[in-house]
Formats: sequence, structure tokens, C-alpha cells
Amino acid sequence: MTLRILVADDHAIVRRGLRSLLGAHPGWEVIDEASDGAEAVDKSSQLTPDIVVLDISMPKMSGLEACRLIRRNNPQSEVLIVTQHDSKQMMREAGDAGARGYVVKSNIARDLVRAVQATSEHKPFGWKTDPLNHSN
Amino acid sequence: MKLRILVADDHEVVRRGLCTLLQAHEGWEICGEAVDGRDAVEKAKALKPDIVILDVGMPNLNGLAATRQLLQHDAGYKIIVLTITDADQVIREALDAGARGFVLKSDAARDLVSAVEALQRNRMFFTPRVNEMVLAGFLDKGHNGSKGEVPNLPKLTAREHEVIQLLAEGKSSKEVACVLNLSTKTAETHRSNIMRKLGFHSIRDLVVYAIQNNIIQVQTSQISPTETALHS
Repeated sequence: MTLRILVADDHAIVRRGLRSLLGAHPGWEVIDEASDGAEAVDKSSQLTPDIVVLDISMPKMSGLEACRLIRRNNPQSEVLIVTQHDSKQMMREAGDAGARGYVVKSNIARDLVRAVQATSEHKPFGWKTDPLNHSN
Repeated sequence: MKLRILVADDHEVVRRGLCTLLQAHEGWEICGEAVDGRDAVEKAKALKPDIVILDVGMPNLNGLAATRQLLQHDAGYKIIVLTITDADQVIREALDAGARGFVLKSDAARDLVSAVEALQRNRMFFTPRVNEMVLAGFLDKGHNGSKGEVPNLPKLTAREHEVIQLLAEGKSSKEVACVLNLSTKTAETHRSNIMRKLGFHSIRDLVVYAIQNNIIQVQTSQISPTETALHS
């Protein structure tokens, strides 16, 4: 079955790059794109993707707020944060917002495919323990 | 014959985005990709592309220093710089370095094809804000001669700029020597000369100088929910 992915980033050139990297993987399909957090929330509700690849620094609504709403509205959609913010505090906030995976943009070449694979199996990526399993 | 383009950006996802955008244009091809400024200089010399696209904020050697090095080697290179900001100082340095195109990363999907087309026709391509600055500078020169020049900045050599970037990125003198293919003693001499010329007493002063003068760029680690950052 095809893994359906929604990509959200405010830079069109980054969306194009993500689409190209993800679309090259067999069995994965980028079903749509969003250019801000609010659009990501709307499109997630309409399209119910398996995975939302979400930037943090976006206009109108940040990726963290969008993540909270996506997870609340569509718990079946997993969120993978892809961001330039390489900080433990931001990772913690992303985990609190409901993200399952966290990839720093500078490590995308190494981590993106593995992160999407892990997230698609509802496994954490980027954290030592699952941020969504509060018994950890 | 196809137009051959070299693309340099340290982020894989941005490079991929740039390459797919440009490859989709009939008659253009990506002849090479580079992951930092030093790699870009080496590949441009080896591949002799028709157009070079350089990100400004790259490690080891930033895009502006790479522009200067390439044009010093061969004035015929046609270079477009990509930046996350069109702050006055970055624009001024890009123009001084000899870039013929200036495109904001946030607008790259819209402007980059037009920029490459312009350079292909031996024209220049700038954002509206750069055009305003160029015009203002022209008018200022017409009235006041040297108005608009940056005053009182210490004169550093191109090599010293390279050393500043590497030191500000956290490299030791030994590592600087290794990257630049120098002896450790020569790297240390460059370091002392820089500190003396700039009147600095600590590496912290040097890092602040490098940030303030866009020699290195620092990513933000804290954002507010309403922030519309251009850095991602």
C-alpha cells in the first residue's frame, strides 16, 4: 500500500527538494504540499495523510502549533518534524506537541528516509525513547 | 548545446530542490553539485560551468568568499548568489564580490529561473531591493563621490577572511592549517595578524565579528509561534 505524505514548508524550493527526495522512494507518494502551518492543518483534515512532514518556522501558524492540531484532529496521521532547529528544548516541545519523529535539516541526507520509515511504523525517530509513550 | 550549471548549497534538500527546478528547464543541465564554498571553487575550476549558483551561508568557505576566489581566478564566471536575507551589507558585499545575480532563497522557486535566463543573455538579475540600492549608490556617487563606502574597516586579506570563517566555525589553528593546506605555524601567524588588526583579545570577539559581518550565519534556536522566519 502506498504511504501518503503531506509536505509543509514555507520555502517552495525546500518543498520541491523534499518532494523529490521522498518521491524517489518506491511506495511513497507526496499527495500535496502546504506553505504554512494553517494550510498544513487544513490539508491534513481534508486528505488524512499517513505522515505529515512539517517544518517548525512557518508563517501564520508555527509547525509546533500545527502539529498539536493535526494530532488532535487526525490522530491516525503521524507528524515528522523537519527543521533547522538543532536544540533539545525544541525537540522536547515537538514531542509534547505530538510529533513522532524529529530530523534536523542539515542531516536530511542521512536521516530523512530512515525517519519516514520509522514514523510510518509508529516508531520514534530522533528521540531515545518514544515521546508519545508517557510510560517511558 | 546545453547550458551547464553548478549548484552549491550545504543543505541536501535545498540542493535537490534547486536541481529539480533547473533541470526541468529545457536546454539546461546540472553539471555538478557542491556542498560548501571550497568544494564549489574546486568543482567550478574543474567543470567550467556556464553559470554558478552559490549559497551565501556555507561552511568552510562562504558563498561570497567563493565568488571572490572564482572571479579572481577567471573573471568570466557568471555567478548567482542565494541568500536568506537582503540586508544592505550582504547586498553590498555580493555586488563588491562581483556576483551578477542575487536571489533570495525564499523566492528562489519564483526568481531563480529568471535569474539564470538573465545571465544566459549576459544580463544581470537582482531583486527589487538590490535594484533600489544599486540606483541609490549610483545617485550618491554622482553627487558625493565616495558616499556609501564602508568607512574605517581594517584591511584584511582574502586569506585572512578564510581563516576568520574557519576559526569562527570552531576550528583550531591545526585544523585551519589542514583545510587551507598550510603549516600550523602559518595558520597561527594569520590568526595573530587578524587579532592584532582587529584589536581583538579573544576568540569570542572574532566570532561576534564574523557573525556581524556575515562571514558566518547563525541559525536561531528559539522561535515564537507567530514568527515568520526566513531561515528554515
